[in-house]
Amino acid sequence: MMKVVTGVVGNDIHVVANRLIDISLQERGFEVFNLGVNTYLEEFMDAVIETDADVLLISSLNGEAEGWCRDLRILKDQYDFRDVVFMIGGNLVVGEVTAQEIVPRFKGYGFDLVFHQVDLNEGLDQLELLLKEKK
Amino acid sequence: MSLLQREREIIVRNEYIDRFDFDEVKEFITGASKDLFISHRFKHSNEMLVQPRGGFPTYDKVFQLYKEFKEANVDVLPLTIDSNTRLNDYATAKKMLALSEEHDTDMLNGYPLVNHGYRTTRKMITHYNTPVSLRHGTPDARLLVEMALASGIFEIEGGPITYLLPYSKNFPMDKAFLYWKYVERVCASYSKLNEPINRESFGPLSATLQPPAIVLVIQILEMLLSLEEGVKSFSVSFSQTGSMTQDIVSSNVIKKLSRHYADKFGHTDASINLVYHQWMGAFPYNREYSDSLINTSTVIAAMVGADKIITKTRNEAFGIPTKEANALAVANVKYTLGMLKGLPKVSDEEEEENLTREVHEILEAVFNDGADTMWRQVFNSIKKGYIDIPFSPHIINANQVITIRDKQSNIRILKKGNLPLSDKSFAYEKSKINLPEGSRVVDKIIQDIGIML
Repeated sequence: MMKVVTGVVGNDIHVVANRLIDISLQERGFEVFNLGVNTYLEEFMDAVIETDADVLLISSLNGEAEGWCRDLRILKDQYDFRDVVFMIGGNLVVGEVTAQEIVPRFKGYGFDLVFHQVDLNEGLDQLELLLKEKK
Repeated sequence: MSLLQREREIIVRNEYIDRFDFDEVKEFITGASKDLFISHRFKHSNEMLVQPRGGFPTYDKVFQLYKEFKEANVDVLPLTIDSNTRLNDYATAKKMLALSEEHDTDMLNGYPLVNHGYRTTRKMITHYNTPVSLRHGTPDARLLVEMALASGIFEIEGGPITYLLPYSKNFPMDKAFLYWKYVERVCASYSKLNEPINRESFGPLSATLQPPAIVLVIQILEMLLSLEEGVKSFSVSFSQTGSMTQDIVSSNVIKKLSRHYADKFGHTDASINLVYHQWMGAFPYNREYSDSLINTSTVIAAMVGADKIITKTRNEAFGIPTKEANALAVANVKYTLGMLKGLPKVSDEEEEENLTREVHEILEAVFNDGADTMWRQVFNSIKKGYIDIPFSPHIINANQVITIRDKQSNIRILKKGNLPLSDKSFAYEKSKINLPEGSRVVDKIIQDIGIML
């Protein structure tokens, strides 16, 4: 069973989407470690190491994700994460910025999959596709 | 000096407030106008009381808001507290209040009561001479409640469960129980001086597909924890479920069972009231539909015989309403209520029997916990998942229960997690659910959350 660590990054308390992600992942057969709302990047990384997770799925709704995630590359360099998939999704920035602009920016921070204002099922379909390819 | 009084002396010795004069406050409450006590209104009025929501950072803006509400013939005024005060961050609240006053903009989402102080706030409360209800969301409300009561605010909303599970990720729950015990004791001691202070629980919880059985269990437990400390007037509450049947069933059962459990624990002299919250979930981005939703919920409140209704506005989907929009909502609700007098009692026996049994089953498991005090029994029950609310951000909540709507929009328990429901009760819930083959539960949940959009 594939393991996923998930949660909402930064000072963001939007719990409804977080629970829906949790339930969706379980429905798709993942083992879920949900850190809940209000979680910092360091806590996510620790949880990935502790649980030996295959996927880190960070979500964010309040548009403040960028400030909380720009140090991902630095944290990734401190440990051998081998083939962990780093994914982020939600409403990633404040104001009207297109996905074409946002996706490369977040990929530059070290995310493999980036979804800005994309339907949850669509994002998880793509995650499963990527995991299948990697096998 | 009693232990409680010693704790109170410490709580009010705070750098953000002026000297707290216990003797003067006691004298004020003893001589306060009966019109400030909602408990007095409940006792002497057969009409449903109407209360909006609202609060602004500055004294002047709240004063103007109240003026607007009074012109709309409001029964109970709200005082909503800002988010910094809710987290006991009086330093930030002070800074933001100063900025709000200087620049005439709202830098806070409510009234920083602690920073304003009780001497100032009392002037406004006594000026309008109308009951005021304290709306906050504070796990440690000890200082805030001292200030509120000293200001003449004689209804305090909240509780250790309902102001914690929906509002916080990791505030320690055992502390919340003890801090609320302090609040109950202070309310109880002031209740002896004049009319009783009314305590109100917050039934909407996370306002997202909350199963009635869990809502009722939590309402009854917070009521008992409050009455246990000597509170004599308590309001149980719940919010519109999205199903008129379920609203009627919930209200019939909660009226019966809150009285039953209060009496069972020896609180026969306590009065219990019912509060109904208009729809607390996501509102449509359409003012006409919002009006329709609000009118329907006013009708339901009249049908269930609520003692108080808490209103929403047609601008709900668009942010904090202006004082004019808010007052208009009050006037409309009062207008609708004028058409709804002396309605016949409606009930659904099968549904009521099932809900009653579920509430008894969960409460029985709570009271069978081996702990020596009730708050510990409740605390343990939440830890064990006997009480588990959907969509709570708090780490202690089990998050195992999953609910969806049936064909009549009733909220049903699809996965019961560790809820101590009998096979019979759970079978009843399952029998109502109709989930088409191959459909994803999560899609159904998303659809059911957005039922009013």
